[in-house]
Amino acid sequence: MELLEIKNLCKKFESKEVLTDVNITIPKGKIVGLLGKNGAGKSTLIKIINDLLTKTSGEVLVNGKEIGVESKKVISYLPERTYLNKQMKVSEVVSFFEDFYEDFNSKKAKKLLKDLDLNINQKLSKMSKGMQEKVQLVLVMSRNADLYILDEPLGGVDPATRDYILDTILSNFSEGASVIISTHLISDIERILDEIVFIDKGRVVLQSDADKLRTKENASIDEIFRRMFKC
Amino acid sequence: MLKKLLKYDLKYMIKNMIVFYALLIFFALLYRVLGYAGSSVILSFVKGIVNGILIGLFINVIINTLIRSWLRFRDSLYKDESYLTHTLPVTKNDLYNSKFLEAMLFLLLGFIIILLGLFIAYYSKSNWDFVVGTIKKLTYGLDTSVLEIFICFIVVTFLELFNTLQAGFLGIVLGYRKNNNKLILSVMFGFLGYTFTQGLLLLLIYIIGLFNSSIMAMFGNQVQVDGGALRLLAYLSMGIYVLIIAGMNILSRKVLNKGVNVE
Repeated sequence: MELLEIKNLCKKFESKEVLTDVNITIPKGKIVGLLGKNGAGKSTLIKIINDLLTKTSGEVLVNGKEIGVESKKVISYLPERTYLNKQMKVSEVVSFFEDFYEDFNSKKAKKLLKDLDLNINQKLSKMSKGMQEKVQLVLVMSRNADLYILDEPLGGVDPATRDYILDTILSNFSEGASVIISTHLISDIERILDEIVFIDKGRVVLQSDADKLRTKENASIDEIFRRMFKC
Repeated sequence: MLKKLLKYDLKYMIKNMIVFYALLIFFALLYRVLGYAGSSVILSFVKGIVNGILIGLFINVIINTLIRSWLRFRDSLYKDESYLTHTLPVTKNDLYNSKFLEAMLFLLLGFIIILLGLFIAYYSKSNWDFVVGTIKKLTYGLDTSVLEIFICFIVVTFLELFNTLQAGFLGIVLGYRKNNNKLILSVMFGFLGYTFTQGLLLLLIYIIGLFNSSIMAMFGNQVQVDGGALRLLAYLSMGIYVLIIAGMNILSRKVLNKGVNVE
């Protein structure tokens, strides 16, 4: 059984089709890059997997089951926006995750927060957007999930911090788990990818093993992407 | 999981409402203290202002609870926070029930705080006798007691508040299913839901009246009110309110269970 299976997925907003017949399979233990230009449909796809959007047709299965309480127990999701209640302190948010996610490791979260110089007693409303995003990343990576879905984790972050974020992701996801990273900053994440999914205008245009594709095309993923989606 | 959700929802509300409860008690105490301070023109003026603020706070506690509950419901289920709410391993029914229970509990708490404020600010033997005397006059010849009237008043008031609350939740759930103008549509659906339920209540009582001449007489110009009919009407209204609230609750949860489309 595959970790994530998406079959013939379509999504329409009124008459506008934003995802068309999407078929993707994600096995266990892979880091997958969901790559596409802005507005290609990456976030829509991720939102459907996380029950934040309803699908128009098709099927999304996690460990063979439809999206629901069971899938949410094994998916750790980092959205592209700050989503925590800003009235809460960091320590309260850690307790919140501990209360709701059985696989949450609070010791690991506290250690990562300390490493990042984030004050656990500080209110989120007193933190900068960047600091809040770091808190969210720590919370998401402190779960022992089967599937991590990271939507634009590098968006709006300086290059030095990008490396730090990627290292945090690489050194903290649980063994045997898969990671889906959605981004258009391909050169930054290329080095860590096992598989790539190119998405354009709501359609999957390519799904391939990253190394095989590099060898076949004799170019980096970034170059291949630039060639394919040249304006 | 409902317990855990409720714990965080209650924490959120108490953090936001405690300041208004404290202000209400403070101004009630201030009004009482000013009552002992004499009767100069300046003091009477200050007392009048304090009394005005106090009355504003009595209204605020209920209105504020309703509005905050609706906003919390919307923010938690459809705004940025929804990215966390809907990815928690809990059912949509639990999410909904937690918000509804939290709002109900805070309406009850608000009412208790208001009663406490009224007692602190205005209680005296003569005031109490006046209130009881007025209710007795109203109940004269109605074959009922002050206590029964008081309980009926409280229960109907709460059912009306819960109905308003539920209509607002239903409006938000329906409004946020649309792709555009979500807020305006939520307000519109909430208002329509509320108006519809009030009309339905009246219609159902009228239909019952077709089979009960005492109740039907109350729709006419009869001056003398039948005590038995009034009691029956009060209990019927309560029953119908409960059914309407339950119906709207089931509908809201059914729509929510179909899924959300967050921005």
